Amino acid sequence: MPLLPLLESEAAEGDLPKRIILLCSANGTVHEQWKPAADGNTLTTLSPVLAPLEAHKQDLVVLDGLGWQYGDGPGVDHMRICMLWNGTPMLEGNEFQNNTGDRPCGWGGGISVDQRIAAHVGSSTPFGSLEFGVQNGGAHIYSRVSYADVNQPIPPEDDPYAMFDRLFAEFGQTEAELTLLRARRKSVIDVVKGNLDAVQRKVAAVDRVKIEAHLEAVRRIEQRLDTTAVCEVPMLGAQIDPDANDNFPLVSRLQIDLMVLALACDLTRVASLLWARAGSNVRYTWLGLDTEHHTIAHGSDEPARSQIVQINTWHAGELAYLLDALDAVPEGDGTMLDNTLVVWGNELADGWNHSQQPTPLVLAGGAGGQLVGGRYLDFGGARHNRMLVSLCNLMGLDDVTSFGTLDDGSGPLDGLV
Amino acid sequence: MRWTAQVVLAGLVGGAGCYQGVPGSADDDGTFGTGSADDGSGSTGEPAELCADPSTDTSPLRRLTRSQYDNTVRDLLGITGNPSAQLAPDEKVGAFYSNASAPVTELLAEQYMRTAEDLAEQAVSNMATLVPCDPLLDEATCGAQFVDTFGLRAFRRPLTVDERAAIIGLFELGRADEGFAGGFTLAVEAFLESPQFLYHLEFGTPNDGADVVALEPYEVASRLSYFLWDSMPDDALLQAAGSGELATAEQLRAQAERMIDDPRAAEAIASFHLQWLKLDRLPQLEKNAEVYPGFTPELREAMAAETTRFADHVIRADDGRLETLLTAPYSFLDGPLFGLYGVDVPVDHDPSEPVDLDPTQRAGLLTQASVLATHAHADQSSPVHRGVLVREHLLCEPLAPPPPDIDLVPPALDPTESTRERFEQHRSDPACAGCHNLIDPLGFGFEHYDGMGAYRLVEAGKPIDASGEVVGGDAPDTTFDGAIELGQMLADSEQVRTCVAQQWFVYGFGRTRGEGDDCSFDAMYTAFAASDYDIRELLVAMVTTDSFRHRRIERGP
Repeated sequence: MPLLPLLESEAAEGDLPKRIILLCSANGTVHEQWKPAADGNTLTTLSPVLAPLEAHKQDLVVLDGLGWQYGDGPGVDHMRICMLWNGTPMLEGNEFQNNTGDRPCGWGGGISVDQRIAAHVGSSTPFGSLEFGVQNGGAHIYSRVSYADVNQPIPPEDDPYAMFDRLFAEFGQTEAELTLLRARRKSVIDVVKGNLDAVQRKVAAVDRVKIEAHLEAVRRIEQRLDTTAVCEVPMLGAQIDPDANDNFPLVSRLQIDLMVLALACDLTRVASLLWARAGSNVRYTWLGLDTEHHTIAHGSDEPARSQIVQINTWHAGELAYLLDALDAVPEGDGTMLDNTLVVWGNELADGWNHSQQPTPLVLAGGAGGQLVGGRYLDFGGARHNRMLVSLCNLMGLDDVTSFGTLDDGSGPLDGLV
Repeated sequence: MRWTAQVVLAGLVGGAGCYQGVPGSADDDGTFGTGSADDGSGSTGEPAELCADPSTDTSPLRRLTRSQYDNTVRDLLGITGNPSAQLAPDEKVGAFYSNASAPVTELLAEQYMRTAEDLAEQAVSNMATLVPCDPLLDEATCGAQFVDTFGLRAFRRPLTVDERAAIIGLFELGRADEGFAGGFTLAVEAFLESPQFLYHLEFGTPNDGADVVALEPYEVASRLSYFLWDSMPDDALLQAAGSGELATAEQLRAQAERMIDDPRAAEAIASFHLQWLKLDRLPQLEKNAEVYPGFTPELREAMAAETTRFADHVIRADDGRLETLLTAPYSFLDGPLFGLYGVDVPVDHDPSEPVDLDPTQRAGLLTQASVLATHAHADQSSPVHRGVLVREHLLCEPLAPPPPDIDLVPPALDPTESTRERFEQHRSDPACAGCHNLIDPLGFGFEHYDGMGAYRLVEAGKPIDASGEVVGGDAPDTTFDGAIELGQMLADSEQVRTCVAQQWFVYGFGRTRGEGDDCSFDAMYTAFAASDYDIRELLVAMVTTDSFRHRRIERGP
């Protein structure tokens, strides 16, 4: 039951845009309940966790044996969530504490893969990328997975109503109103840029990067004023409290609907979604679970382990919902799913011991006919940086041969394409 | 002295990786980090002459927090409400909101833009009070006058020639298209989106290449107002800055006293206490409806209001003392909170008037339902959460989060066993005991209060055992029975007093304390102690310190 009426495809015939979607959930999984059965590299029977994806089995490439487990460097455990998409250790720093007392860390230490791709494919759309969230809570190393650059975390928008305004607020206006609004915004931005510039010349060297980033953000908004997108404005339905625990599934669906619309309207080609945050304390009450997710993840035996499987299975259902929605938008000879690359990862391999190898990673979608589904690939303990390289390559960044600093080798995943 | 206590404590407990003396932490779940590596000692033992030259530590460039944004908009534009709800959430330093690290992103810049547009449109209805002249006489002249008077308040200092010219140009552009109101809204938008409004910009007075320089008078005015009001300076402060009357310690003291008397001080006091006690998540708090059917949004609001009214009353109307905050047997009840506390609603009840409580059941902040319900599970109390709050935020001893491989699932409810009995495993299992000896004996002291904060004498058919111990505490006898005795013990503790001063320091500066702040911290703590731990004296003393009146210039590479 989609909450938003999905559109007929707006994409032009011929050169169909390629998109990428990154999904991240929290607190790890139970590997033996996640790992599907395979005959060689061919997926046979899906695991309990992946069972909701049965209808999309031929769209999936399940990646096993990848991760970012390592011993040194700042920050440990849940703090390493940002490494999922940037493959780079966090900065040295004392902003965030760890659990051993001797390795605190700062924000993430490098650009994330979605932002790298957005820099390449995002210039032709109004939004270079869109970051969606569901109940992410405050600004913390736990709740940021996209980074514009080193030390530049990008907050997800975890209020679907605010995201709706961001995407569609201008669409209801007449051409004349829109022209006036854009002219006004440009005039204001001119003055604001001048002020940022003046301040930048005066602040201490260590603070200059903050003003430079602010200036860059304002410039991007300015550039967006010159782009147009044609889109039918959806209805969002009655307002609910996006922060209320029990609304988590509703907010998840609203955000997925908005994401699919934004991609279908070509407002962006790069999107990410973070469910909750590292060490999430969401209570999955709609599954009958009253205890906080993180607490359950640290339960060593039954029923906690089954409950973790239940939670992960629910997230697989959300992925299935996303794939259904992408598959419902006709595009060219197929559907939008054929031209989209979806990646679902987790901050941890297993929440019980905070391991980060092998982390559960699932690819879905055709990525423009490049990716053959129905496969299971085990990389036997390799760095997941190789996957990040593959994502860049699949999105047309052919010259990318390494990503992040954790991997001492280079190149994409063998045998993926 | 706390240093001593910490060393003894670490030696006593020896919980591997448990006690965490990491300098400068920021955990938005509220874990508190001490500001300096040598902890929060009230006295560093520095000889007085070492404090002769002004000294302070580096202040990072910070943006307004959400509450500062809302309060500033209220005072600047006369628009009340919660416009910052549209903005990405704040970062934290220690227990307190402070946007000191991550830069503005495209999303946030856009949120600032949209919020400014909304506010400018709303402000048109307040134009008569915001514009100091009659536009009908001469729109251009009046527009320029507006830019000057409004600009002084929006940028919290007079505009430079360039700033003034740019915004007047924008005003004229808007006026040409849409008349005076069109110019007005464009100018307001530009003010609200500019870094001079959004950041706490502090440059100081250049002084022959010195590393520590005095702040400009207008910068001092903003520090005062955001510290004591959580908002922008008022006209009196801006005038004092303009006429050089924020120069001496006496002048600063007089301003601080005036400001604490002003109702706006209640905003800062509320912000401080809600964050210090980790109550910022109370508005989203939910309980298991089967166990706690009475936990309604109205009750939640009454809980938060109780704590903010109480803290404000103690500090600004009562004797202001830390002991009173931690032990006063009165509070401020409203609506369903009367039922929860088992108190009859007085005739002609006024929620802003204090209500006497049973002193054997309630005394001070830590026995308030806001604290007890927030630091509890959805279906039961939590000796651990309550103990952690006291250990980290009142004793300033940050604890490490539980290590991996430790089972965190709380013991299941059992009608035959008390909470205390079910949690005893922590202390009997050696893997848990290292940390939980620091936590649970504090938290068991709150067992007279259930997961919603209601008082109880019996649980699982057994009388409540609320005896506990402040392990490593500085009292002659560190054992206590119940939260009332614990509150008094904490109020009498040097460590707690130092910790509270340290918390106000982090709150007021929006950054951690560094070595360069030792002289300033000593000075404010000495005044705090000399006043028998009057919070007002602590705050007033803080604004006269070198750290408050100076900044350290960070020489870039």
